Amino acid sequence: MNIEKYQIKSGEKLEVFEFVSEGPQGRIVKMVQYSPTNYKDLYNLGFGDKNAETGFVDDTAISNNNDSEKVLATVVATLYAFTDKHPEALIYATGSTKSRTRLYRMGITKYLDEAMNDFTIWGELDESWEEFKKDVEYIGFFVKRKNV
Amino acid sequence: MDIKDLNMKKAPIVVIDKSLDFFNDKVLFPEKLAKANEMLKKVGLPKMKEAL
Repeated sequence: MNIEKYQIKSGEKLEVFEFVSEGPQGRIVKMVQYSPTNYKDLYNLGFGDKNAETGFVDDTAISNNNDSEKVLATVVATLYAFTDKHPEALIYATGSTKSRTRLYRMGITKYLDEAMNDFTIWGELDESWEEFKKDVEYIGFFVKRKNV
Repeated sequence: MDIKDLNMKKAPIVVIDKSLDFFNDKVLFPEKLAKANEMLKKVGLPKMKEAL
């Protein structure tokens, strides 16, 4: 996505990423983690704000830093970095709230053509999966990188 | 390379910060991970061959 992103830092395994959102609420440290699930090559994408004082990471925080598109683009950038290192990985993502899941869906929809070049994307329905379609309210998403 | 060039790249330039390796064995989003494992058990995976 040719839109602005934040600079990303990561550990050597490229499974934990950090970047700093900048806006009217100040500098907010964001963390992204790809955690292995109980199943081989399946990872969960976690994303939230790091509390500067406690170090606690909160995935329900609403930062209102007027940069949601830039933040989302940066999270997608971590997806490229992670799947460069783990090309076989399947990644599950869902929002911590319905509105955040909707935000993910809108982000995917907005850049769907480009995203489909690089990733296969599925949407989670009640108890099944389908290839991602615009304007469907999904519970979660699975993504897999195409040719790395 | 300036920030404009950086932003044009799909695969980002990642600065390695070894302090973040501290989190490798820690689950930062345990509720989300539990939810993912529960979903995988209940719903399973998409049909890969049809979609890939």
